[in-house]
Amino acid sequence: MRWSQSFGATPTRTTANRGVPGPRFGAALVAAALVVAACTAPGGGTGSGAPSAGGSGAAAGGYPDRAINVIVPFAAGGPTDTVTRLVAEPMSQTLGQQIVVQNVAGAGGTLAAGQVAAAAPDGYTVLMHHIGMSTAPSLYADLPYDPLVDFKPIGLVTEVPMTIIARDDLEPTTLEELVDYVKENTDTVTYANAGIGAASHLCGLLFMNAIDTELTEVPYDGTGPAMEDLVGGQVDFMCDQTTNTTEQIQGGAVKAYAITSPERNEALPDVPTTAEAGLPDVEVSVWHGLYVPKDTPDEIVQELSDALKAALKDQNVIDQFADLGTAPVAEDQATPEAHRSKLESETERWKPIIEEAGVSAD
Amino acid sequence: MDLLSNLALGAATALTPENLLWCFVGVLLGTLVGVLPGIGPTATIAMLLPITFKFEPVTALIMLAGIYYGAQYGGSTTAILINLPGESSSAVTAIDGHEMAKDGRAGPALATAAIGSFIAGTVATLVIVLFAPMLASIALSFGSAEFFSLVVLGLIASVALARGSTLKALAMIVLGLLLGTVGQDIYTGTPRFTFGARELFSGINFVSVAVGMFGVAEILRNLEDEKTRTVVARTVKGLWLSRKDIRAIIPSVARGTALGSALGVLPGAGHVLASFGSYSVEKRLSRRPQTFGHGAIEGVAGPESANNAAAQTSFIPLLTLGLPANPVMALMLGAFIIQGITPGPNVIVDEPALFWGLVVSMWVGNLLLVLLNLPLIGIWVKLLTVPYNVLFPAIVAFAAIGTYALNLNAFDVFAIAFFGILGYALIKLGCEPAPLLLGFVLGPLLEQHLRRALIISRGDPMVFLTRPISLALLVAAALAIAIAVLPSIRRKREVVFREEEAV
Amino acid sequence: MRDVLAGLTFVGFGLAFAVVAASYEVGSALRMGPGYFPLVLGGLLAFLGVLIIAKGFLAGEGGPIGAVPWRALALILAAVLFFGLTVRGLGLVPSTFVTALMAAFASRRTGVVAALLISVGLTVLCVLVFVVALSLRLALLGPWLGA
Repeated sequence: MRWSQSFGATPTRTTANRGVPGPRFGAALVAAALVVAACTAPGGGTGSGAPSAGGSGAAAGGYPDRAINVIVPFAAGGPTDTVTRLVAEPMSQTLGQQIVVQNVAGAGGTLAAGQVAAAAPDGYTVLMHHIGMSTAPSLYADLPYDPLVDFKPIGLVTEVPMTIIARDDLEPTTLEELVDYVKENTDTVTYANAGIGAASHLCGLLFMNAIDTELTEVPYDGTGPAMEDLVGGQVDFMCDQTTNTTEQIQGGAVKAYAITSPERNEALPDVPTTAEAGLPDVEVSVWHGLYVPKDTPDEIVQELSDALKAALKDQNVIDQFADLGTAPVAEDQATPEAHRSKLESETERWKPIIEEAGVSAD
Repeated sequence: MDLLSNLALGAATALTPENLLWCFVGVLLGTLVGVLPGIGPTATIAMLLPITFKFEPVTALIMLAGIYYGAQYGGSTTAILINLPGESSSAVTAIDGHEMAKDGRAGPALATAAIGSFIAGTVATLVIVLFAPMLASIALSFGSAEFFSLVVLGLIASVALARGSTLKALAMIVLGLLLGTVGQDIYTGTPRFTFGARELFSGINFVSVAVGMFGVAEILRNLEDEKTRTVVARTVKGLWLSRKDIRAIIPSVARGTALGSALGVLPGAGHVLASFGSYSVEKRLSRRPQTFGHGAIEGVAGPESANNAAAQTSFIPLLTLGLPANPVMALMLGAFIIQGITPGPNVIVDEPALFWGLVVSMWVGNLLLVLLNLPLIGIWVKLLTVPYNVLFPAIVAFAAIGTYALNLNAFDVFAIAFFGILGYALIKLGCEPAPLLLGFVLGPLLEQHLRRALIISRGDPMVFLTRPISLALLVAAALAIAIAVLPSIRRKREVVFREEEAV
Repeated sequence: MRDVLAGLTFVGFGLAFAVVAASYEVGSALRMGPGYFPLVLGGLLAFLGVLIIAKGFLAGEGGPIGAVPWRALALILAAVLFFGLTVRGLGLVPSTFVTALMAAFASRRTGVVAALLISVGLTVLCVLVFVVALSLRLALLGPWLGA
């Protein structure tokens, strides 16, 4: 069986319900309601008032006039879910409507994307997806939608870099040594990944291409178990998002060889970039972006894109992203045009890599 | 002493009126939502997660932890009252717990669950305080070879779940293992048995199987001869445990707690293996194994304690290493991150107030739960006096909505119907659903770890015998088979000898 | 009779899984493909099924199967399927109402009035619990009803 982690619809906090969550518990959970309503939320400061939701950006034509659903194609609690929830809050303030984050996990994110592609193009169903949007056409032979045709991109959100890490007692100390070590020990070295199509799998494909050597890949059912076995020394190395690796690197549980972004990362200043360490081709980021169905009116796309831009300037978003080892994209990237060209170039880039590796997910 | 000052820090954090209050709200909400049919701890915590976003980090995590073990309690209640487990480990509770309820002993069953859980929770919290880092490093030494051997041991032990034919129980386990293979193969990406339905790529939902095989099948059985049979005894034979009950459950609770505390640390399977394992231990050690499956109170006490102890110690990898041991812990990790704390290997040192506060709050939460649940028993038992023709449509409606809400996936709802028919048919044919459920949960683990161990060892099967923990577990599995088979052989021999003498 | 039928069920499932599994890449015991594990298990299940059938014939009577509540079976399954098919289109309220109504009629003890009362009550209760209390965002009335 697969664990179902996500519980469908979970509203993000908005200005309208900040403070006391009281009434929402009401009715059936009477006892709880009494307790909740009887006290203010901890943390004091925010108080119990419901400041007016603002609605500053309300568009001509009245969009949005009700709650907007943002579909996350992965389980609640994961990196994509976290990114979505962090951005959804300031966006809902700008749009003056609640944003409801729904987790529709399954089939490497293609289930949720398929649902959104078929949803009403009214701007009330929005998809958050990551790099998987550009690899799905190469991985899935009979995808029920075309990422480049069936959606309108709204804008990029963040590009999470990845780190090449190993169990802390692996011999090599630099990326260069690691490459030599891997080539000399092809019949013992193991590379962990979080399953077909996962970012860690894609990064591994790039790495293999760059050093022109086949690795023995050990797939896991997600990043958590893979990291567990890496920390426990059951496998040798992997490449994963800073969201998952930063703390483990800082805590000394694993060693880091390189970061896959063009610049070093603030949270990991001692980790060289792959270019510095001699593998410039291993440059990859887990980029996230928002999408709506293809027939959505342009004004609505613009509205959402503006709200996204504003959200990416929110100090809380910047701080929280920094904790995750990432940052909001530059303002000119949070636009439909930049997002589309990213999607196109990434789709082009991954197609030959995935085909050459002979990987298929259906 | 360090420990005392740490505990003092924890108590200072956990016992502020605010944190105490939200801990209580957490366990209360968890209990109430967990009681709803078809909704177990994972769903409950995922659903209530956003409520905590606006809290202080410690408070948020205390409340979430409270929701988690509150939902665990609530799930057991549903398993006992209406034979509908909300998650894999309470499927065991349902076996004897629901039989007790049918016999008018729902009160003692619920009390046993509450008290067993409280004792287990208390001991497991102490285990965390004293041994967390040590246990975490043991957990890390478990590679795929060890897990494979552990799951084999668990599957062999689980034959004890059957009250009827062993052969049928074995077949049900294998069918469960097969159903567990539905979905995308993680090694190659090949979708198996999905018939092109993308909704099935991530496998069959556990809740659908549980609701169908247990919930719907049970309703159908109860509707068989409506005119002649009352479903659950209306006359309640006392709410509280008798002296005899208490004597019976003490050793079971102790064994369950020990087993649960140890297995809970292991990622993935620990929790399930703990409660299934405890059941088979109790049945083996019992002087009256024939009562198991027909309302043996030890069959509730052991697994419930094991289950709750494991729920507590499953926090250890997250709290000491920043590694989530199961999906609920992955959700907790997400909650940490949204709170601006990313737990890593140094979380105890970096965030002592958070770590010790959370640990102390676990014990407080368990205390609150037992205080909350003992009085609630009276109310839950009253629920059984709701006429069955009102109760069962409610179960159907709640289960359908709850299952759908999990992933907004209509397939999960259709699967209820499929497993409802299958479960009912198999029960009619004398096959019990619990072994199937265990196989279903453990199947993917069995296959994944087997294949992974062989990939890492480059196809050398000796890896299972050369790694000492793996070897020990396999030897234990062999012994378990021997113990299971020997008495029956001896008995047969005796029969044969006696016949010969007679001749 | 019961044992034979149970055995046949297992044989059926075992063979079905094995046949489909054989169409996937099987691999070898030490380098398993996606088909290996289900193929072996399918075979094992079919074997166990045969043993159960044999035992059924040898031991004779496996006990009666007993009454099957066909009407309840049909109504409850229809209720569950109806919910899955319509919750998105009709919305939570009508879908729950009809589901509860069908389920209620599964009991012979429930008359028309009682069934209506039960389903109205349950619909209200479900909306209170899931929508009001748990803030589950399901449309109360779906697009098929023009909402």
